[in-house]
Amino acid sequence: MCASPLDALRAGPPPPRVALLPDAMFFSRAIPVQAGASREQVVSEVGIALEALSPFPLSQLYYGYYWTPGSDRVLAFAAYRRRFTADQTAEWGSAQHVLPAFAAVLGSGVEPATTIVLAAPDGLTVVHWDQGKVPSLVLHTVLSPEATEEERAKARSELIKAAGEARTVVDAPAPPVAQPARSDSEVVFAAGTLRSTLESGAMAALDVRDKADMAALARAQRRDLLLWRVAMGSVLACALFALCEVALVGAGLWEKARIAKVGAQKTTVSRIMSDQELANRIEKLSTERLLPLEMISVVAAKKPAAIQFLRATTSGLYTIQIEAQTGNAGEIGGFKTALEQTPGCDHVEIRDQLLRNNVASFTLIVTFKPTALAPATS
Amino acid sequence: MIRTLKAFFLARYFREKLLLTGFAVLAAAIWLSSLSGRTRRFVREVHVTTSSLTDQALWISNRSKIEASAQAAAAQLDAARTLDATRLLAEVAAIANDAGLKNPTTSESQDQSNGQFSVHTLRLNVTRADWDSIKAFYIGLQKRSPYIGIEQFSLQVDRANAALLNASLRISSVEIAAH
Repeated sequence: MCASPLDALRAGPPPPRVALLPDAMFFSRAIPVQAGASREQVVSEVGIALEALSPFPLSQLYYGYYWTPGSDRVLAFAAYRRRFTADQTAEWGSAQHVLPAFAAVLGSGVEPATTIVLAAPDGLTVVHWDQGKVPSLVLHTVLSPEATEEERAKARSELIKAAGEARTVVDAPAPPVAQPARSDSEVVFAAGTLRSTLESGAMAALDVRDKADMAALARAQRRDLLLWRVAMGSVLACALFALCEVALVGAGLWEKARIAKVGAQKTTVSRIMSDQELANRIEKLSTERLLPLEMISVVAAKKPAAIQFLRATTSGLYTIQIEAQTGNAGEIGGFKTALEQTPGCDHVEIRDQLLRNNVASFTLIVTFKPTALAPATS
Repeated sequence: MIRTLKAFFLARYFREKLLLTGFAVLAAAIWLSSLSGRTRRFVREVHVTTSSLTDQALWISNRSKIEASAQAAAAQLDAARTLDATRLLAEVAAIANDAGLKNPTTSESQDQSNGQFSVHTLRLNVTRADWDSIKAFYIGLQKRSPYIGIEQFSLQVDRANAALLNASLRISSVEIAAH
């Protein structure tokens, strides 16, 4: 039965696709470097050393190196490109890492004077550390697939002896295989009980593919990582929006309760507002009096004879608006001035002045001071 | 789980990665647009409701003060002399008749009441009246103040005869209900 998608997610990511190449194809050397050298200096040292060691130019080699920051030694390895067929190299395109099989155990973190023996059907490889994290020697011997156990044991003893003094010999009975790792920044290999953990920086240095192809691959990886981050950012944003939706629903319920409260109070409040309006009207009727004829009388007292009032309308308690006309437009200004000089007038304004058939029409707005007018008695 | 998804994503072809990313971005953009619109509307609604509740709370907190002010305003009047709508109409008609105004017309009375106090308002129109009649009517109304009040006044020269006037008044009276 197939596992559910949830089970697949819980199972964690699959191990990285790693192409492990036969050790017999490579030659390797430990090259001394200055302790504390930068990675760029190490790359340069490796290039120079391989150029010197190899009968072929660097461009005709597949090569890599193993170095840890602070080490005074780098293990460089290379293979002549023509030793690999086009079909073999075509398969590397789908692999995340391509390296010699022995390179998989370089991150084993062994004690000094340790030798690891890697057994393969077509040969034996020993990796020897005298001190530090970088091996001092890698040796390989080719064995016939039909070799007997005695022949294999003899070859193993000779290789261990040739590698140097070893306090510990670790046998890896099976070829290294990539394992699911705890983080994306490391790759874990298992060879029998042996575990080797290599950081992503070390894995890039171990990769033997063409360096220009590697650079293109790195660019593609950076692009893919960017796409992944954008996609994940969008998914996280959607999750945040979902939380906001929940909050909006909750806030909507709260708002609904408040709207219901407004509705419930509406009748009471409109009654209070009506009471307020009523109180204001009663107060006004009780204490204030509109005196329109008194206002007209005050204005008419200053009116030149030629000006004729057509319509008068009150606006509030103390303002009267009078539409008037005159055959002598020059009198309008004087009329306004006369009104402005009247003690009871607060403000005088002339609007909408029009002249038609020698008759000037205008609107006069006069605002009186609140205490200026006295009610007429007769 | 995230690393599994990441491994799955990175193992896709480039066009598939592009498509998945495009879908995710599009979904987030559409959702954001919809959510921001609804959030803006909701915030506006909350502001309106908050404002309404604040106003209502203010009115409710001032309730006793408003009632007291209405009582205080009404206390300035003699309840027996206040006029209901019928008495207002009768009183205005009598004053108009005394002033010699012919054919005054009134609108239907508009009433505003809280049960205890009422304000009755009517509009009165007078056409083709002379100045003296209008003045007499006006003085008659003013004598009944504050039980009858003029709230608005408009006077216009008659178009056919400049010696005559047309007047329009909004007249109000207060009624205090007898206990």
